[in-house]
Amino acid sequence: MLNVIEVINVSKSFATSRLPWQKKKVTVALRNVNLEAKEGECFALLGPNGAGKTTLIKILCSLIVPDKGDVKIAGYNLKYHEELAKSQIGLVTGEERSFYWRLTGRQNLQFFASFYNIPSQLAKTRISELAELLNIAEHLDKRFQEYSTGIKQMMAVTRGLLNDPSVLLIDEPTKSLDPNMAQNLRTFIKDELVAKERKTVFFATHQIPEAESISNRIAIMDKGNIKSCGTLEELRRHSRSSGDSLYEIFAELTNGNVKGT
Amino acid sequence: MFLRKVFAFVKKEFLVEISYRFAFLLHIFGTFTWILTFYFIDRLFGSKITPHLRPYGVNYFSYVLLSIAFFSYVGTGVGSFAARIRNEQLMGTLEALLATPTKISTIIISMGFWSLIWASISVSIYLIFGAFLFGVDLTHTNLLSVLVVLLLTVTSFGGLGLLAATFIMILKRGQPVTWAVNTLFELLGGVFFPIAVFPGWLRIIARFIPVTYSIKAMQLAVHKGYSLRTLRLEISALLIFSAILFPSGLLFFKWAVKRAKMNGSLAHY
Repeated sequence: MLNVIEVINVSKSFATSRLPWQKKKVTVALRNVNLEAKEGECFALLGPNGAGKTTLIKILCSLIVPDKGDVKIAGYNLKYHEELAKSQIGLVTGEERSFYWRLTGRQNLQFFASFYNIPSQLAKTRISELAELLNIAEHLDKRFQEYSTGIKQMMAVTRGLLNDPSVLLIDEPTKSLDPNMAQNLRTFIKDELVAKERKTVFFATHQIPEAESISNRIAIMDKGNIKSCGTLEELRRHSRSSGDSLYEIFAELTNGNVKGT
Repeated sequence: MFLRKVFAFVKKEFLVEISYRFAFLLHIFGTFTWILTFYFIDRLFGSKITPHLRPYGVNYFSYVLLSIAFFSYVGTGVGSFAARIRNEQLMGTLEALLATPTKISTIIISMGFWSLIWASISVSIYLIFGAFLFGVDLTHTNLLSVLVVLLLTVTSFGGLGLLAATFIMILKRGQPVTWAVNTLFELLGGVFFPIAVFPGWLRIIARFIPVTYSIKAMQLAVHKGYSLRTLRLEISALLIFSAILFPSGLLFFKWAVKRAKMNGSLAHY
C-alpha cells in the first residue's frame, strides 16, 4: 500500500528566552523522527503532554518548519510543493478559537472552502452533506459563539473534511467531548473515514483507550522520540514489559508517565 | 480563484462588521465631529485663501477635509495588513488560514481589501458631509487623475503596510511603522497644512515621504482638476515608491512568516 504520509529524519527544537539579552534555552521537541502512514490507515500518535505530538502534527501541515528532515504528503515534499501537499490535507485541531465566532457555522465553512479552492456550488453541497453525516445540520445557521464545545469540535471536523482530503490530521480528536459524543466521533473516524472512504487519519492523543480502539497502528512518543511504532501486536512483541496491555507498554516506554484514561 | 478569496474575505469582514451595528454609527458620528472641528477652525481665521493655499485655490476647510479623508487610504495601506494579521492572531484563526493550500501572498492581500472598502466608505462619508453640509466644491475633480493617485497611494503605502505586518509577525505587538506613518507622515506630509508652511529643511525631509506627493496630487486633481500629464512629477514619485515598497514589503513579510514557522510562533500573540 502507498505511503500517504512520510516523515523522514525530522528534528525540531525551539530556542526561547524571556528577555532578548538572556541566553536562549533550547527545548528539543522532536529528535530524528521517522514514520509513515499508509492509505486507508488510522494512525495514532500516543504520548504524554509535551511529548512533541502537536509539533509533529503542525509540521505535517506546514505550520511549523522542521530544523532537519523531510515530510512528504501523498508523495509531495512539503519543502518544495507546499500548496500541493496541503491540498491533500484536512486539519482538525481542538482549538475552538480557530473559527470566527460572530459568523454562523455555514458562513465559516463557506469562507474556509474558498481558501481550499472549492468552487462555491460544490462547497454548498459538501457542507450540507457533511453536516448531515455529522448530525450538525440543525446548527449550521446559528452563530459559532452559540455552539456547545461538542458542536464546535464537529464543526472543526467538518472543516477538515471540506476539501475531501486524502489525509486527515487531528490533534486530540475527543478533547473536551462528552463520552457519547466522543464515542460517536471515534466510530465516525473508524467506520466512515477509514473503512469506507479509505482516508488516512493521523491523530495525536494522550488517551490510551482512544488510540487502542480506533487505530491500526500506534506510535508511542515521549520527549520528542518515537519509542515504539506498529500494530498493538507489534508493540507487544517489541516490549520488555511483563504485561501485554497498551497501558503497560506505554508506562514502560514513557517511564511510568501514564496520562489520560 | 484569487478574486473569490478576496470576495470571501470581504464578505466575512462585512458580516462581522454588521454584527456590531453600533460601532458603525459611532464611526459616522466621529467623522462628523472631526469635520466640524476643522470647519470652526477655518471660520476662526475667516475662511480665507492664504498664500500657502493659493496653488490649490481653496480655503483651509476644503483643503483639510480632502486631506484627512484621503489620509484614510494611507492609514488603510499602512495599518490594514498589520491590524488584520494581529486580529487573526488574537482570534486564533491565523493557523487555520495558513493550513489551507493558499499562498501567503494571496491571504495577506485578500485581508487588505476589506480595509480598502472601509476606507472608501470613510472617504465617502467625509466628502458627502463636506459637499452637502459644508459646501465644499468638488465639481472640478479630474476623476482619472484621482483614481491613478489613489491606486498608487494604496500600493506604495500597502508596501509599508506589509512591513508593518512583518513587525507584527515577529514582535506581535508594538510595530513602529504605523506609528511613524500616523504621527510623522501626518505631520510632515501636508495632511493638516500644505508643506509650503515648513522651513526649507523640513520641506526637504517631506520630499522623501510618499504621502507628500499623494496629498499634493490629490488636492490638485480634486480642486484644480489637474490631468495626469500635469501631475507627472507626483505620479512618477509615487510609481517609484510603489515599485520599491510593495515587492520589498511582500518579501519581508514572507520572510517573517517563514521565521515564525521556524520558531513555532505563528499563532502566538
